[in-house]
Amino acid sequence: MKNIIKILKFEYLSCVKNKAFIIVTFFLMGVMLLSAFLPALVMGLLSEDEEDGENKEKPVIAISSEVYDQALIKSEFESSFSESDIKISKESTDDLTKKVDSGDYEFAVKINDELKFTYITANNSLFSENYETISDVVKSMYTVKALDKYGISQAETDKIMNTKVTFETVTTGTDQSKNYLPVYILMCVLFMATMTYGQLVAQSVVSEKNSRAMELLITCAKPTHLMFGKVIGSGLAGLTQLAVLLLTALVSFGTFSSGMIPDEISKYIQLPASTVLLALLFFLLGYFMFSFILGALASFASKSEDLNTLTSPVMIVLSAVYMIMVFMCTGDMVDSTFMTVLSYFPISAPMAMFVRATMTDIAVWEIALSAVVQIITIYLLGMLAAAIYKIGVLMYGNPPKFGEIIKMLKMQRKANQK
Amino acid sequence: MKIEVKNLTKRFGEKEVLRDISFTAESGKALGLLGRNGAGKTTTIRIIMGVFYQDGGEVLLDGKQLNREQIQIGYLPEERGLYPKKQITEQLIYFGLLKGLSKQQAKESAKKWLERMGMSEYKDKKLETLSKGNQQKIQLAATLLCDPKLIILDEPFSGLDPVNAMLLKDVIKEMIDSGSAVIFSSHQMNYIEEFCEDIVILNAGQIAVGGNISEIKRSYPRNTIEIFSTQADQITPFIIRSVGSEIESAEKDGKSDIVTVKLKNPEYKNNLMQSLLKEGFDIDCFKVKEPSLNDIFVQYTEGGI
Repeated sequence: MKNIIKILKFEYLSCVKNKAFIIVTFFLMGVMLLSAFLPALVMGLLSEDEEDGENKEKPVIAISSEVYDQALIKSEFESSFSESDIKISKESTDDLTKKVDSGDYEFAVKINDELKFTYITANNSLFSENYETISDVVKSMYTVKALDKYGISQAETDKIMNTKVTFETVTTGTDQSKNYLPVYILMCVLFMATMTYGQLVAQSVVSEKNSRAMELLITCAKPTHLMFGKVIGSGLAGLTQLAVLLLTALVSFGTFSSGMIPDEISKYIQLPASTVLLALLFFLLGYFMFSFILGALASFASKSEDLNTLTSPVMIVLSAVYMIMVFMCTGDMVDSTFMTVLSYFPISAPMAMFVRATMTDIAVWEIALSAVVQIITIYLLGMLAAAIYKIGVLMYGNPPKFGEIIKMLKMQRKANQK
Repeated sequence: MKIEVKNLTKRFGEKEVLRDISFTAESGKALGLLGRNGAGKTTTIRIIMGVFYQDGGEVLLDGKQLNREQIQIGYLPEERGLYPKKQITEQLIYFGLLKGLSKQQAKESAKKWLERMGMSEYKDKKLETLSKGNQQKIQLAATLLCDPKLIILDEPFSGLDPVNAMLLKDVIKEMIDSGSAVIFSSHQMNYIEEFCEDIVILNAGQIAVGGNISEIKRSYPRNTIEIFSTQADQITPFIIRSVGSEIESAEKDGKSDIVTVKLKNPEYKNNLMQSLLKEGFDIDCFKVKEPSLNDIFVQYTEGGI
């Protein structure tokens, strides 16, 4: 145990002091700060524009209509286009077109009939919502005019039409709508982190083998200690990086973007502590499982170049699990039997059980059972990885075939029993 | 303390690389493991270190199965290698810790050995910035860091210049004098001859010859006599003339002042000396010529593998 701690400390410090690791951490911190700061920056620039605009004249919108009452037009359009001056005009379509073209009018609307209008604009932007707004205004004017015939005044009509319905939701299980976004993001982080930090372990093994430090190492410490120390050390380094990034995210978004996110969106970004803890638990389980596999495979590589060939099948499996999870989430199938099976199958369990635990209403024992299955798998994988690590140490040249590995493991077992 | 290797056998697939290897190394003594490339030296050493498992035989420490955690073993592998991108002191301390030293002990020991190796100025450098010979010295420091009672050195002299080889020789002698048992393999016979009392010559996975060097040498016929004299030119014809029937040959070695005489019977040695003295020759040295380790090595390993 003492040795594991020494090894993990060494591995941890090696990772944390590694230049590439530090650069990546700072880069990601920079990206986070920037993305948090950007909305504030953009809004700041926009508001400056607006301040400048106060001195200028408001843009003019010309409305020409013979169907509706002028007062009605003015009040309805003003309430919908409060940033502009509404001008009631009697000009012909051609004149309006000319003035829009010369920039006198922001745009012009010629209401030809009770439910028909021509929208004259210089630039028809893809994102412009003027069309719909004008339609709504015209529709509203039509309603007012129609109801007027039955003796209902405009004020009464407005009151009826602008009534708002309020509601509350009571969710008895887990509210998928609220969890969806954070779970989705965390799942992505889980996937990326497992892959990245697993590679860290593989790299560490290969570099020791490449520098031939391994022979001395395995005569100084037990392969199991080396393997577990390496995996735990790199894992802790990964957690440190994640913690730093999470903290940066919390502080920067808290400082720059507070109040900038509209309520409609922020209600979907609720991150309960339980979700974070579950993410942490399943990250650790997934990380251990994959890094033992990657560490074992890496002991067969003689150079870093061999590493990709050896580890790509694992990466494909991991990516496939992630894709299935995305598919399950977007296809609203997190409650399916398939998903339940995946949440107990060791390789897919870390991600699948995380999704199930956060998006659906499941019993604690299910989470615990899945975790136990994973822990047993991790232990067995760890032992296997250490055995493979030992036989792989002095193997240089082409990576061995699967059958040869099994044969060597059997021989080692036999020798151990002697 | 006694390390006994008993009847080791090892196969790699179909190939039998070690067959019935046995030898003993003791405290305060050095054992030289000799053999041509591929004779099985490194495999034997790796089995002692537990890197490989033997197929048969055993490694004993004072009669009991060797438990590598109970005894400090200093091991210099044939494949040298530490962490190239790590600071020298940092990695020496790490290996010290793994060997069971406390942090303080590891620090002190690293400092001590860097000084002893004349490498103190490099202590904060990365290993990869050093020359190959200097890296080798760091590797030696890592080997001896834990004050080992058993020292196993696989080709320790390869890659060292004469000055550094001398330094290493002194260090190994100190370790032997302080009571450590040393096993080392080398191709450099002069070093082996200098501080090994015992040798084992491996040939094609088997022991060709083993035991105390002096005894091995004595086992050779002692019928070759070397006579050192400034009168070598006159001595050679005198011997042929006066005792020709007792000798096989008498030759002067080129331009040197040495006459080599091969006797038919080794016991005639004293008679030869007396007749030379009686004749009044001025003799600097008269001795039995023993075979060099090199001669023995070549004799046993030629045509092997």
